[in-house]
Amino acid sequence: MNTKEKTEKKNTFWGRLRDRLTPDEMFLETEIQANKLGALILFCSGIMLALILILTAFGLFLLPMESVFSPLIQAIAEIVILLVVCRVVKYKAWWLKHLLMLGLVVVYARLDVVVTHKAAILMVLPVLFSSRYFSRRLTVFTSIFTSVIFALSAVWGATHGMINLNIVTMEEGTVMTATGGFLGDTVKNAGAADPAAFDAMLIKNTLLFDYLPKWLMFSIASIISCNIARRGREMVVTQHEKDVETARISTELDLATRIQADMVPNIYPAFPDRREFDVYATMDPAKEVGGDFYDFFLIDPDHLCLVMADVSGKGVPAALFMMASKIILANNAMIGKSPGKILEDTNAAICSHNREEMFVTVWIGILDIPTGRLVAANAGHEYPVVRHADGAFEVFRDKHGFVVGGMAGLKYKEYEMQLEPGSKLFLYTDGVPEATDAEGKMFGVDRMLDALNGAKDGTTVDVLKSVRASVDGFVKNAEQFDDLTMLCMEYRGADGQAKDAAGGDA
Amino acid sequence: MTIEMKKNGSALTVSLAGRLDTVTSPDLEKALADALADVKELTFDLAKLEYVSSAGLRVLLSAQKKMSVAGKMVVKNVSETVNEIFEVTGFSDILTIE
Repeated sequence: MNTKEKTEKKNTFWGRLRDRLTPDEMFLETEIQANKLGALILFCSGIMLALILILTAFGLFLLPMESVFSPLIQAIAEIVILLVVCRVVKYKAWWLKHLLMLGLVVVYARLDVVVTHKAAILMVLPVLFSSRYFSRRLTVFTSIFTSVIFALSAVWGATHGMINLNIVTMEEGTVMTATGGFLGDTVKNAGAADPAAFDAMLIKNTLLFDYLPKWLMFSIASIISCNIARRGREMVVTQHEKDVETARISTELDLATRIQADMVPNIYPAFPDRREFDVYATMDPAKEVGGDFYDFFLIDPDHLCLVMADVSGKGVPAALFMMASKIILANNAMIGKSPGKILEDTNAAICSHNREEMFVTVWIGILDIPTGRLVAANAGHEYPVVRHADGAFEVFRDKHGFVVGGMAGLKYKEYEMQLEPGSKLFLYTDGVPEATDAEGKMFGVDRMLDALNGAKDGTTVDVLKSVRASVDGFVKNAEQFDDLTMLCMEYRGADGQAKDAAGGDA
Repeated sequence: MTIEMKKNGSALTVSLAGRLDTVTSPDLEKALADALADVKELTFDLAKLEYVSSAGLRVLLSAQKKMSVAGKMVVKNVSETVNEIFEVTGFSDILTIE
C-alpha cells in the first residue's frame, strides 16, 4: 500500500480503528500463529457440536432433537463461515482476532442455550484463548463480550433449554403428575399452568443462582488471562529488544571485519612493478575479527619489511590489540630501525599501557632487496619456513625472544639469512599447525611442510593455496577456533631472473 | 580442563589437566585471582596438560608477574608438547621450569 492511500484511510472511522487495532510489527507473527490456533479451536468445537448432534439423532443425548437441531446447526454453520474467512485472509487480517473472539463466544453461547448449566466451562474458553494474543485490551474486550452474551444465553436457555431442576422453586402444596421420561418434562408441564410466572421465576433464579456464581468464577479466569496476556507481551517486547541489539552488534562486527581485513595489504599483485620479489598473504579470522595479522611494505626502494604476528586470545579484544600493535610496529619500522630495535621499542610502547597483560608474538624481517640478505628477529612467534633456491621447504629454528608486551625492558636478538634467487620464505601463525580435525588431532608442522613442498616450484599464490587446501582436507567439517594467517615471499634476485627460470606468473 | 588446587600454608599447588585455551583460561584466571592473595610459593603441575594456547600463556604470565613480586613461581612436569610451546614463545626464559 502506498503512503497516500494509507493517509486517506487514516481519516475515516475504519482507518482510525484499523490503525488502533493493528498490532506492532513484532506481534504480527505471534498474531498469525494465534489466529491459526483460533481456527483449530473452532474446528474442534465444530467436531464437538457435530458429535452432540449425532448422539441426539440416535437418541443417546438427554435433549429432544427439535430443541437441539436449530441452534447446533446454526453454530456449525458459523464455524464453517469463520474457518472459510480465516483461509481466505490467510490468517492475516487485522480484524480477524476480534471476529474469532466474537464467533467463539456466540458459538459457545448457543451451546449454553441448549445444555444450560452443563456448559459452564465453555464460558472461560474464549477469554483463555484471547490471552494467546498478548493483548490485554483484547482479553478485556472478550471478557466483557462473554459476560453480556452469556447473560443473554442464560436468560434464553432458562426458558428454552434444558431445565435446571436445582433452581426451580414451587408454590407450597403444588402437585405434579409425572409425564414419563425426564423429570424436567414433568416440571415444565406443571409450570404450563401459569407460563409467564413460571418463566419469570426461571429467569430470576437462573441469573441469581446459576449465572452469578458462574460469572464470579469467570472473572477470576479473566484476571488470570489478563495477567498472562500482559506478561506475554512483556516477554515478546524484551525478546524483540534483544533481537534488535543482536542485529546491531552483528552489523557492527560485520563492519569491523571489513575494516580489519582492509588494515593489512590485500591487493595483489602487491608490487606489480617489482621483478625482484613477490609477496602474497591471506588472513582468515576464526571469528568475525581476529588477533592474527601480517604486514609487508617497502621501507625504502631497497628494503622490504615483512611481519607476521599473533595476539594472545581471540575475537574483539585481540582485534583491538592487533590494530595498536600493527601500527606501532609499522611506525617503528618505517623510520629505519633494525628488526631487534623495532621489537624492543614496540615492546616498550605496548608495556607502558597494558593493564590487561595482553601480548603479541611477532616475527619481523627486513630484506635487503639488491643482495638477498634478510635480517630478522623473533618475539615468541612460530619458526619461519625457508626454501633455499632449488631445495625443499624446511623449518628454520631461529633464536627466540619473549613475546612483545609480556615484560618491560626486553631486548631482542637478530639473525641473518642469505636468500638466493628462487628462495621462498613462508610465515604463518599457530592456527595452521594447530588446525584441529573432528577427533581433536592437530594438522602439525609435518603436514604443513608436505603441503608446502607439494607446491615449492609454484608461485606464492600456489604455495598458500596448497597449504590451505591441505588444512581444509585435514579438518574437513570440524569447526576451527583459531585464526589462520599465512604469508609467502619469493625472492627472485636483484634482476628478477628467477621469475623467468620458474616459468613466470605473468 | 580441570583445575585442582592444594594449599599448604603459604604454598599453593595448581594441577591442570586438559586444554588451557581461549575457552578455559578465563576459569583459571578467575580461580587464581581468588586464590593468590597470601601465597608465597606457587607451583603449577602441568603433567596432565595437553595443550596451552596464547590465551593460556597470558594467564601464566600474569601469575608469574604477581609471584615475582610476592614470592616465587615454579612450573613442573611439563610435557613435550607444552614445552615446545614455551620454547617457541620464549616463555621458557621467563618461567622457572623444573
